[in-house]
Amino acid sequence: MNLSTLWEGIKNAFKALRNGEFLLRIRADKYYMHIMYLFLLMWVTILLSLQVDKTLTKAGDNQAAIDQLRIHHAEKEAALVKLHSASAAETRLKELGVNLTLPQEPATVIKKK
Amino acid sequence: MSRKQSEIQDTIENRDRIHVVMFFLSLLFLFLGLAILVRIWHIQATYTVDERVINLFRPAVQKHVDYPVRGKILASDGRPLAISAPLYDIYMDCTVRKAEYAETGKDSLERAWQNKARDLSVYLSNEFRDKSAEAYAKAILDGRARGAKYLRIQKNVDLSTLDKVKTFPLFKEGPYTGGFIVEKHEERIYPYDSLARRVIGYVKEQNRIGLESSFDSELHGREGYEWRRVTDNKRWVRDLDSTQVKVQDGNDIRTTLNVDFQDIADKALRAQIQADDEVRAGICIIMEAKTGAIRAMVNLSRGDTPQTVLWERENLILREVGEQGSVMKTVTLVSLVEDGYVKTLDQTIPTNNGFVPGGYNQDVHILDYQRETGRRDITVMHGFEISSNYVFTWLAETYYGKKPQEMFDHLYSYRFGEAFDFDITGMGTPVINRPGTPNWSKTTLGTTAYGYSVAVTPLHIATFYNGIANKGRMMKPYLVESVEKDGKVLKRFEPSALNSSICSQATADTVTRALRSVVNEGTATRLKSAKLPVAGKTGTARVVLSPKERGRSTDPYSDEYGRKKFQGTFVGFFPADAPKYTILVTVYSYPSHRNFYGGTKPALAIREIVDKLYALDGEWDATIRSTAALPQMEKEITLKKGLVPDLKGYGLKDALYALETLGMRCQYEGSGHVASQSPAPGTKAKADQTVKLILK
Repeated sequence: MNLSTLWEGIKNAFKALRNGEFLLRIRADKYYMHIMYLFLLMWVTILLSLQVDKTLTKAGDNQAAIDQLRIHHAEKEAALVKLHSASAAETRLKELGVNLTLPQEPATVIKKK
Repeated sequence: MSRKQSEIQDTIENRDRIHVVMFFLSLLFLFLGLAILVRIWHIQATYTVDERVINLFRPAVQKHVDYPVRGKILASDGRPLAISAPLYDIYMDCTVRKAEYAETGKDSLERAWQNKARDLSVYLSNEFRDKSAEAYAKAILDGRARGAKYLRIQKNVDLSTLDKVKTFPLFKEGPYTGGFIVEKHEERIYPYDSLARRVIGYVKEQNRIGLESSFDSELHGREGYEWRRVTDNKRWVRDLDSTQVKVQDGNDIRTTLNVDFQDIADKALRAQIQADDEVRAGICIIMEAKTGAIRAMVNLSRGDTPQTVLWERENLILREVGEQGSVMKTVTLVSLVEDGYVKTLDQTIPTNNGFVPGGYNQDVHILDYQRETGRRDITVMHGFEISSNYVFTWLAETYYGKKPQEMFDHLYSYRFGEAFDFDITGMGTPVINRPGTPNWSKTTLGTTAYGYSVAVTPLHIATFYNGIANKGRMMKPYLVESVEKDGKVLKRFEPSALNSSICSQATADTVTRALRSVVNEGTATRLKSAKLPVAGKTGTARVVLSPKERGRSTDPYSDEYGRKKFQGTFVGFFPADAPKYTILVTVYSYPSHRNFYGGTKPALAIREIVDKLYALDGEWDATIRSTAALPQMEKEITLKKGLVPDLKGYGLKDALYALETLGMRCQYEGSGHVASQSPAPGTKAKADQTVKLILK
């Protein structure tokens, strides 16, 4: 192929594009199904990629929510545990003006003979 | 031109061409060199990074490090002693949009922002209650005036509070309008505040103490990382094509500590220390006799002056190596009984006016004893009860004087010669002045017998007494029973013995009898009326002063004003007849003119602890065995129309049901079960018959 032939081919291609005959000239109709299939694959790929991003974003949000709940849980646990000691109970009873004190005698256990 | 001349001419032309080429090449390299130098100067001196360019070089993914959540430290019943949770510091950029509002020339925008800041101040004041709303408003508006971009609002705020603060006026508009800045930092929360803090410890950069330090490898966990990419929605998500290391949160440590025991011991000891300005510190250890599991470990001390806060400042139980005083007499007694030198506690020795030859001090207690009793001999039991230094010096010199190594071998077998393995590192190394060591003198044997010349930690003493309580089997004290992950046990630490037999069971029983006698008749009678029988020994020891404390004094035990530092100890176990726990309490004084005896403050603290532990649950002989069978319903009630049924032994509910079914009325007295009835069972019933029941 010499340069003049190549130039002629390019010119023809431009002319065909201008006239809307390019695809027919290259006989693309023969590959119509393949082209459509390729488009479908690309569309599915893009869609899946977007879905994966969406899922990962959601997973990230959920992880953040779990982390927040974990922190809340730890804080609540600490606050509750703080009250769960004999001294804390005694102090609280005193603050409330209640006369109740810690037991002076152990609870009596009744066991069958 | 001849051929030769022509060749010469060609050579010259070739050379000229080469010269030209070489000239231009060298010129080119020179130019390139200069260009490089100029470029270096330009990069170093004047070049600034263009963000658009640098963005092209930035990777499309970023490495994100996940930090593990530190494991919990749990009490033996699972209550958390240390938890990890983040806390937040809140700051404010007071300058937000100030320049923008100024550019618009509208004062209304700036006024609106400032009004919101005033509203915010009211909310902040109500929430934190540390400053008035006016003070908050002044701080924010002054900050805006002077251009403060990082005004501290509050530190160490928890998540619940942070969530609330986020909804406050101005702050709810976010960082770009509200100037809301939050900084997160992981913190360790100790729900019981100062309780067992020295045992729990902490890890702060280079400062590492307690269980937090010893078990850091378990608690810390392992960092993870993942690569993240940005999505079309500008959100960062995990890049599935890259490697990922999952973060591993730390394991939990379950300790042997009992929160209730620790709380009771802490409170009792605190009361004893706070009642006296001359007491510097106090310690308490409660150990389970059978296993060596430590149920409470209290280390309370003040600072240099009594006005300082009482706090868990140092682990004295583990680190305070010192002469323990008369509590060591039990050690000597065990050795003497075990070696057969003391066959019975009623064995007598001569009193000799309290003198043991060889340079020992006179024991004035013996003179009192001689005066009161008129006797010239004393039983070993009584010498132990009154904690006579003379008696134990005499026994040691008489039986071990010619073979002192025999007595020191016993000390080593009780593990007094070493810092044995323990769950918290840093145990103090004991000092024993045995024959052949530089500090050995002719009185060392006798002084060792009553608790001087040998320095050990309180943990050594408690471990030894625990061995007596455990009938000679000396258990290794331990603080951690398991390593867990989400409640599943990964590693369990079983009890183990330091010495499976420090003495025979008979020796342990004999010594226990002597220890019981100390409480009933001797130096610890304050414990006599404790709700559980206690056996133990008091000890009072002078503490060697540091050169700074001693000043110009030449006496190692007193300062220039004649003041001494004392430590008073009580160590024993309870219930004396079937020991379940070993307990040690020591109080340490500031330099003082007073004495601090083991039979006073330590004994009082122990009494309070024992009484409270007694009331804690029903395991202490408070069990009532049912001796009489309660009335039981053994058969169905037989109902025959027109006849009064037999209701004896039934509850009121069943009796009423039976009578109403038969159309009879009921009267009853008392409560419980039917003990008798009238009319008698089987009697023919009248119409509207009333049956009277006595319940008991």
